[in-house]
Amino acid sequence: MASQPTHFSMFDEPFWESAQAGELRMQCCSACSTYRYPPGACCPNCLSIQAEWKAISGKGKVLSWTTIHRQYLEAYPAPYSVVVVQLDEGPILITHFDNEDVGKLKLDTELTLSYATHPDGYRLPKFVLPEKAA
Amino acid sequence: MSSIRSANNIASVVGVGNTDWPQDQKAVRAGARPTDAYGYGAIALQRALKDAGIDKSEVDGLITAPYTPVERAAELYGINPRWASVSDAMQSVLTAVMAIEAGLCEVVALVLGFNQRSAGFKYGGTGTLGAASNLSYVYHEPWGLTSQGALYALMYRRYMELHGTTEADLGQVAVAQRQWASGNPNAVMRKTITIDDYLSSIYVAEPLHIFDYCLINDGGVALIIAEKERAKRITDHPVHIRAIGRADMHDQSTTLKPRLLDFYHPGHTLVSKQVYDAVGMGPHDMDAVQIYDSFSPHIPVALEGFGFCEIGEGCRYIAETGIGPGGGMPVNTSGGHLSESYMQGWNHQIEAVRQARGDAATQVPNCRNVQYISDVVGKVFSIIYGVD
Repeated sequence: MASQPTHFSMFDEPFWESAQAGELRMQCCSACSTYRYPPGACCPNCLSIQAEWKAISGKGKVLSWTTIHRQYLEAYPAPYSVVVVQLDEGPILITHFDNEDVGKLKLDTELTLSYATHPDGYRLPKFVLPEKAA
Repeated sequence: MSSIRSANNIASVVGVGNTDWPQDQKAVRAGARPTDAYGYGAIALQRALKDAGIDKSEVDGLITAPYTPVERAAELYGINPRWASVSDAMQSVLTAVMAIEAGLCEVVALVLGFNQRSAGFKYGGTGTLGAASNLSYVYHEPWGLTSQGALYALMYRRYMELHGTTEADLGQVAVAQRQWASGNPNAVMRKTITIDDYLSSIYVAEPLHIFDYCLINDGGVALIIAEKERAKRITDHPVHIRAIGRADMHDQSTTLKPRLLDFYHPGHTLVSKQVYDAVGMGPHDMDAVQIYDSFSPHIPVALEGFGFCEIGEGCRYIAETGIGPGGGMPVNTSGGHLSESYMQGWNHQIEAVRQARGDAATQVPNCRNVQYISDVVGKVFSIIYGVD
């Protein structure tokens, strides 16, 4: 198994495995089809603990963004940017974003999911402008 | 529809106390450790008891903040309460009132001791404080998002895009609160700033500037809350806890939905109905407001959520009404977390009490009803303090 970031629960691993494979999957309730992100033990809608991992479209719209001017983490020298996207499937996913494209962002700008490699060696999902998607 | 009863007119604040924030900040910056969290709490408690004019033998309920577990705090403070608990500032006031109403105790000491600066607490990066209760502080670390200020930068960016406001519109908050702090000898940051100072200051997380961020300093705060009739026997100047309301919003909080999509407004609406109905007043009847301000965007968003103005008009309301000294709606009259001291909502409680009883550092004229508002870690709270 490739390296993965810190797990916050026993349900995190399939998310990072799917990122490694370049086909992001999210945990989805088997009983009522509500997505759970971050992954967790039960469905906030129906409390079922049954879940499956569904591939997502990778398309979504911008809710907000920021450029951070202070270094908090070794992997992210300042300045660096972060974007918040609501996936077409509903969940909100927050990833880093290319500084040079921040000026092109507006609310509801459509972005596409791509992948990047973290300095620690694992792949992670990352939103980009559609024309940059592989 | 759930009940909108709130905890009304059960108890009063009879004493308040706090540590010397600027002196301790100076000492800690010079490398000293004046005391630890328990010690800061002890200083504040001693002063609150003196303010109330009672001995600690009269205290039969004790609440401490999570930094000083209540068992060890009770040992150190020499108090054997009939009832005790641990919680944050707003929940402490509510819990004290509930315990009094339940008949478990009559005189409750609420004590915060907080050594965040000298102990090197972090609010960004690996090991950030509060991660256990709020996964949003750490979950996005693989993508670089760990600082709590960045969450508010994301909120105000979206707010700007939705409502057409600017950085200068938000800058009014830091400028006004520093004006209040300039008249407060116990504020850590007292040098006044202009909008130009604000705009030319560094960004931490765009669009937020350094002046939009709270301080990080050591200190303590204490309140003595007593059952309403007992309070009248203790002091001639009780400040009544006229109403308390709470509503939580935790749905998708790790991915910031309550903050980014809702701006906590549904919670604000529920709590404003609770507290305003309880006292038969509205936002414009308040003489001053204390708003939890870990970051300045809290202010316009909370004001509009509680009906001081329409949604999206928070910045315009601030500009037109004025929230600084002499303004139409005084907000964070001690300088708040941005300029006075970052005591996680606790210094707002004692400032509300002092304004209501008339002995604040910069006193608002004819001040009788003071509202406290907060919306952090999924919890919207409001408390209305008032005098007869």
